[in-house]
Amino acid sequence: MATVLEFESVTKEYRSFPSRRRLRALDSFTLRVEAGEIFGFLGPNGAGKSTAIHLAMGFMRATSGGGHMLGKPFGDAHARRRVGFLAENVALYHRRSERLVRFYGALNGMGGTHLAKRAREVLTGVGLQDQAKRNVGKFSRGMLQRAGLAQALVNDPELLILDEPTSALDPLARVTVREILLKAREAGKTIFLSSHLLSEVELVCDRVAVLHRGRLVRLGRTEDLLQSTEKTEIVARGIATSAFTGAVAQDGVVSFSVPARTQRAVLERVWNLGGEVVSVNPVRRSLEEIFLEVTSDRESSVGEGRQ
Amino acid sequence: MKPVLLIAVNFVREQRWPIFVLLLWVLLLAFLGLFSDIRRQREDLLFVFKQVAVYVIAFSVFFGGSAIYNERKTRRILAVLSKSVARYQYLSGLVLGVTIASAIYCFALGITGSWTLGEAGFPASQVWFLMLCLLAACMLAGTVALTFSTFLNPFFAAGATAAVLGLPALASQTIAPQWQYAIPVYPLAVTIMKSSFTSPGGAFWPPLGLAVVETLVFWALSARIFSLVDIAVAVE
Repeated sequence: MATVLEFESVTKEYRSFPSRRRLRALDSFTLRVEAGEIFGFLGPNGAGKSTAIHLAMGFMRATSGGGHMLGKPFGDAHARRRVGFLAENVALYHRRSERLVRFYGALNGMGGTHLAKRAREVLTGVGLQDQAKRNVGKFSRGMLQRAGLAQALVNDPELLILDEPTSALDPLARVTVREILLKAREAGKTIFLSSHLLSEVELVCDRVAVLHRGRLVRLGRTEDLLQSTEKTEIVARGIATSAFTGAVAQDGVVSFSVPARTQRAVLERVWNLGGEVVSVNPVRRSLEEIFLEVTSDRESSVGEGRQ
Repeated sequence: MKPVLLIAVNFVREQRWPIFVLLLWVLLLAFLGLFSDIRRQREDLLFVFKQVAVYVIAFSVFFGGSAIYNERKTRRILAVLSKSVARYQYLSGLVLGVTIASAIYCFALGITGSWTLGEAGFPASQVWFLMLCLLAACMLAGTVALTFSTFLNPFFAAGATAAVLGLPALASQTIAPQWQYAIPVYPLAVTIMKSSFTSPGGAFWPPLGLAVVETLVFWALSARIFSLVDIAVAVE
């Protein structure tokens, strides 16, 4: 699979004025995003997610390291023709939404009837077809975000970079955006999605990276991350709930979780007690649990030497 | 070229209210022409014409000095530069936008001036030459302000621009007259301010050409500086 977005040991430091104090937003950050995947980019506020995205888009320059987007170095204007970008806190010119989308399409070299048709299509896609003649300045925040998504999609991009695309959206609009993302993946597009809405990420992303204090602290396939290797859930029948700590009886079976390393001993104990093992499965965790785990236990160690 | 034109037209559209306010001054001149005795009050008319002309140089500094700051502050610049637009193209769009905004004003003032002053005996061809001088001065002043605004906030950019435009003028008064041509906004403004009915002045082109060349130099300089600037960083 081709690499679409590649960060190679990128470090970015900001300097405050006038103290010239350095703040390291990204620290030797390396990541590869492959073609055709929806990639979830997670991290707490100030983790460096937007900085990484802005570096890729060429909005800022790395202190050291670099990277490639669609085979071109970061900041290459020609590569951006094949990219769609939605910024966090989207800000657009105040003009009619259809004209606005056409303006951004024209900046990407589109024109004529194809652009007009495409602008209507994307506005319909984000549910703004009835607002095409309305000035964006009068839009609610959710509508503005959808207009922002429309301008990102107008050039039918190969790579879609979305920074918090659903943060201002109601549940219905979120479903619409999710469908757009899934449809884009089906069409072979790559989506780089930065979000705090972990349930959304869990639903759509093929791979996930967690960034904390400028460093990559977890990376993997979403399915693999959600499967815990540390705990196992055992369901058995014919035993009392009192036999195991935290055991719960339901529908004639007893279920409980144990550390994976003690699994064999616990199973033997169930059999010794005359019980029957119904199922043994790794405990499925939520992305939220993983997120909290990796961002809390590194507070002290990662924080050293950052400033 | 297309992105440059789009950005320029969009800039003018975004600045439509300041441009409209500027055009009210031209309207004032037109009213004076309509409701006064042009022959008898021609010196007053010429005075207003000169004043109204010089205002636009200050406005072009304002246009150039605040353009990038406003775009960065509102974060609208991100959506534009996320497209296939290089930084130098963006800067070119702004320079062209400032030029178009100034040209709209100069054209309106030229039409009104050649009518009102023309009736009072001022050569219409000289009015249009003065408008060319004004446009060249605006282009250069706006581009100098834009250059400073790539790394300074509008307040400091305006101050730095005033220094760059004013120091050669000061040097021409204290050291040698040739210094005024270092940044020829001052001699161009003087050409306008010194014209009179008795001595309307001729078409002296060198400062005008120099202004165009220096506009290109400052444009190139601003594009180079802007290519190194982190535009996604908060500007406050």
